[in-house]
Amino acid sequence: MKMSFEDLSMPLFPSLYGYARWLTGEPHEAEDLVQETYLKALRGFGSFREGTNFRAWMFRILRNTFLTSRSGLKSMASIDEEPELADEIVDAGTPETHFVNRANGEALRRAIEALPLPFREVLLLSDVENMSYREIGEALAIPVGTVTSRLMRARRRVRAALEGMR
Amino acid sequence: MSHLNQEEVQRYADGELDDAAAVEQHLRDCAACANAVVGEMQLKRAVRDAARMMPPDVLRARVRRRLFGGQHTAAWVAAAAVASLVLGALLSAGAVGTLTSARELADLHATILASANPVDVISTDRHTVKPWFEGKLPFSFNVPELAGTPFRIVGGRVVYAHGQPVAYVMIGKSGHKLSLFVAQVTLPNGGMRGFETLSWRANGLTYVLVGDVPRGDLEQLRARF
Repeated sequence: MKMSFEDLSMPLFPSLYGYARWLTGEPHEAEDLVQETYLKALRGFGSFREGTNFRAWMFRILRNTFLTSRSGLKSMASIDEEPELADEIVDAGTPETHFVNRANGEALRRAIEALPLPFREVLLLSDVENMSYREIGEALAIPVGTVTSRLMRARRRVRAALEGMR
Repeated sequence: MSHLNQEEVQRYADGELDDAAAVEQHLRDCAACANAVVGEMQLKRAVRDAARMMPPDVLRARVRRRLFGGQHTAAWVAAAAVASLVLGALLSAGAVGTLTSARELADLHATILASANPVDVISTDRHTVKPWFEGKLPFSFNVPELAGTPFRIVGGRVVYAHGQPVAYVMIGKSGHKLSLFVAQVTLPNGGMRGFETLSWRANGLTYVLVGDVPRGDLEQLRARF
């Protein structure tokens, strides 16, 4: 049985809106972005291949729409290249423990907001959307290894930001 | 096995390790690595809680109306025409979505149990837990009376799975903690790495019990609903 576009897409509505909010940082732009995404996806649904990942497909459309928008171009312009690997240390000894105080939601939101886009989006897709690395890779058109390393650096930066605020 | 490196901690917490069994064996013996994993899961959950945004209802209604029926503006009429070609007959599945990932519930269960503040309302009494959920969920459900059984209610909170609000009730039984999830969407059952699960539907809601207990316990609990 073939599911309709409406059946497939509407359960994703809160997720897509949340992602749009975090990409744009602004409610009105997020609303426009979500509407445009649904329209584009509906138009392109004929080319969607059944059996492939619909959720990743929708996120990809939303992201591409954002990146070609004015604020999307601006946010990418601030990132010249793949952020440096300098802060990547793969420690082999006893792992460190970092506990996060859940009560400090506002500080956490600021830390997420401050992340460069490539880090912010993998963090959101993993932790808020609970996507697998493979699915994130599909949505962002990047290899799984890149997902893994960006996610590590995203969490490291968030932790550092929270520790800096104490 | 030796200590986990940061990548292994991360991949384990994200459910991305192929050989989780060896890691789990190590975590039982190594407090340092177990703490690192708990810290990672805490951060994940904190990010999830802090970053979630709910869309305005009017926006959802507007998109629905413009794409799937109602008054059309010129641009959307064209889209709708394409839609009717592509979609054929619309299915009337109502608002029932499906959670595609069974892992999501198992992860929620594990993450909640590992967290420092697992529940938002603490109560051993269903008369406190049930009213607490009112207004926080788009549905209401029955919290069973557990007095006189080996089970007790520990507390509750609202969690999200697949973008949908889900009622979460923690139930204790002699040192074990069980999770009850109640949702309007269809929740998955089975295949949840290492946990017993039992699910059923009643009054348009899906109930799922998850726990590290014998199945008989879940069935005994199920009988109280």
